[in-house]
Amino acid sequence: MESSSAAAASAAAGNSSDFVRKLYKMLEDPSYSEIVRWGDEGDSFVVLECEKFTKTILPKHFKHSNFASFVRQLNKYDFHKVRQNNEETGQSPYGPNVSCLLSLSLWIFVCYSHLCQVVLAAWEIRMVSHVDRAQAWEFKHPEFKANSKDSLDNIRRKAPAPRKAAPIIEEAVPTQQLDLMNQQIVAQQQQIQHLSDRYAQLTVDHQLMLQEVMRVQKTVRNHENVIHQVMNFLLSLDARQRRDSRIAASFQGQGQDPSTLSPSQLAPMDDVPASPLQHASKLLNDMNTEIQFNLTGLDSLSDPSKNPAIISTPPLDNGPRNGTVRPATSAGSSSTMGFSKMNGELDPVVYPVGATNGIDPMYGEHVNNIPYSMPPKELDPSDPRRQYTDVRKKSTYVDPGWVRNPHILLVEDDDTCRQVGGKFLHSFSCVIDTAFDGLEAVGKLQNGSKYDLILMDIIMPNLDGVSACHLIRQFDRTPIIAMTSNIRSDDIQLYFQHGDFPLCMDDVLPKPFTRKSLIEMLEKHLVHLKSLPQVIEAPPTSATAVAIAAQNSAPHSVKEDSSPGQSPATSMNNWQSPSQLQGVNVQQVQGQYVQQSPTAATFAVDQNGVQYQATQASLSAAAVAAARPPHRRQASEISSAADIAGFSKRPRVYPQPT
Amino acid sequence: MARVLVARSDDSSRDGPVQLADHRDVIEQSAFEQILDMDEEGDKDFSKSIVYGFFEQAETTFEKMERAISSKDLRELSHLGHFLKGSSATLGLTKVKDACEKIQNFGARKDESGTADEPDDNQSLANIKLTLKRVKEDYKEVARILKRYYGDTDL
Repeated sequence: MESSSAAAASAAAGNSSDFVRKLYKMLEDPSYSEIVRWGDEGDSFVVLECEKFTKTILPKHFKHSNFASFVRQLNKYDFHKVRQNNEETGQSPYGPNVSCLLSLSLWIFVCYSHLCQVVLAAWEIRMVSHVDRAQAWEFKHPEFKANSKDSLDNIRRKAPAPRKAAPIIEEAVPTQQLDLMNQQIVAQQQQIQHLSDRYAQLTVDHQLMLQEVMRVQKTVRNHENVIHQVMNFLLSLDARQRRDSRIAASFQGQGQDPSTLSPSQLAPMDDVPASPLQHASKLLNDMNTEIQFNLTGLDSLSDPSKNPAIISTPPLDNGPRNGTVRPATSAGSSSTMGFSKMNGELDPVVYPVGATNGIDPMYGEHVNNIPYSMPPKELDPSDPRRQYTDVRKKSTYVDPGWVRNPHILLVEDDDTCRQVGGKFLHSFSCVIDTAFDGLEAVGKLQNGSKYDLILMDIIMPNLDGVSACHLIRQFDRTPIIAMTSNIRSDDIQLYFQHGDFPLCMDDVLPKPFTRKSLIEMLEKHLVHLKSLPQVIEAPPTSATAVAIAAQNSAPHSVKEDSSPGQSPATSMNNWQSPSQLQGVNVQQVQGQYVQQSPTAATFAVDQNGVQYQATQASLSAAAVAAARPPHRRQASEISSAADIAGFSKRPRVYPQPT
Repeated sequence: MARVLVARSDDSSRDGPVQLADHRDVIEQSAFEQILDMDEEGDKDFSKSIVYGFFEQAETTFEKMERAISSKDLRELSHLGHFLKGSSATLGLTKVKDACEKIQNFGARKDESGTADEPDDNQSLANIKLTLKRVKEDYKEVARILKRYYGDTDL
């Protein structure tokens, strides 16, 4: 598929296609004349020995050894097989030709055959003595002639649409009808392929839009939080100030040095905060409720059925909400305990500024909004999620879950490395541009090409990687990863010591790189392109494997389950609601998480991507197992209900970094 | 035609006529495997084009090395060694890669491991000549294996 589309592209560009040129080149080689050669008139070519041709020549020139696909390719370029022209003798000039399986554009051929009839008859006499008796195939194209390379440009790929067969005057009608039908089938397949490609593209676009919206939501929420922090700080400042001034005014003191009082102690003593502050916080509160209302609308609007990653994010003030929305049996407060515990570990990432005094009750929730706190280890190759995307391909084509496809510039002078690297990147859903050396890379960036990441070989002709990097750094901050085949770590150390890397390179990828090292590098430097975290990291269970095997590209309905006591089998049974017929439940059990945190938030996504917070519990494993089933059923029953907005709000659980 | 089909279906089992596992000493499987993994199901077009591209690359580089030896261009030799080291390492062709690394080091006026200096340029050249001779043999061996693996009868 790839090569054919490439050929189409080049044909469209107006040049003669690769295929035709290769064909011409092959025929120019006199050493093949026993196997394949120009026809005697130079206006066709003949495959004299099909077997040898398939085994030796095809691989050399066309990189495959499939005669049928060679013929197919010929057909695509409107070559047609020259059929037996001299029925009288029953022999073609080149050998006993059996059938014309793939003749197309018959009318052209007919004209030709009539023209050539006489000539061919003459050949027959000349040739038949020394011709190999093996099956010979003769193909011709009006523009394909020996010694006229120029006319090659006129040979174009045919449009994929099936042609109307010209009125068939000649014999072998059934064969031609078959051909026609085959062609139609092919054309239809192409159309279907096209449509499904388009559909896939649209799905991706749709997802991207949704992700964008989610991201914006998150940003807004983050800002909200910052404002809250600032407000809190201001309030405490305000309180302290007024207290200080009070103390100063009364000048008696209260036997207590105000500086030893913490803001929190002071705050409650404050009866009347400054009115501007009061006003501000009131405004903020009003705004919050309003914003959440909007987000709720968005959440229910979005149809994240295709992407488990699109999970409605929790509202800012989840604390109180949780209490009301949560199913009655869930142990409410425990979840916040869990969050704040994680919170402690993730804080530095979330707030580099450092305002983490933990006053804010909604703070714990906030952590769950941060997409970039996911540890890079998430891309474990055994991760079942990576197998969703393309099961049929031995799970090599993984979608690491980008928000959009990362654009990568691969700068590499070595053809092999460039191709392999490009292919690997391609398999990680990256869009790749390549440059042969540093000069070309700098040129591309100067011409305004934007990339998310640059992979740069170090030793290259014309301009080496380090110099190129320095140049690029004059005007661009795109992350640059050095690729170096000085595999030993002390060499890399050396680079660092010389100051080259800290100045311009962001990281080093030792060559030869592996798919693993490559994706790890991408994960590390393209964190911002990762889609919403996929909640819980888990080793594939047997149930998962089965589920994955059972589906290919159907929309995934993902159920994330972090509770320990629930065996996959049980929950699958409990949860196969009718709306899930198409989808597949992928269950993930996170043992590690369970061990570290006493709490577990469980929620599930149904076919429509609407989530229900099934339960949140810190109960013992057994208790969870006992309590869950009724819950789940209840949740699935509500799935068709319209009023779901409230349920779609829930905290997300992250694996704790270890 | 039927025979062709049979051959293709053999391909997908990845065993082909040659068991790559039998040649661990020359082909590092994990590296080569991940390139095979990039092949579409049912054919080996991608990996084959890579491998055959490497053949061309290697042969050209060997020629260039010969020329550089006759012009005593150590710097160029080191560069060529480095160049071929990259692609052979990518394919997991261990022996070729190791030899290329040696040539790179010799060309940089070092010993084969690149740790000690080699003051005598003639010695460096002699080392490279010897290594080149050996690496060509190693290359032939691995090329033969790979060509057989890809069902290429033209050996």
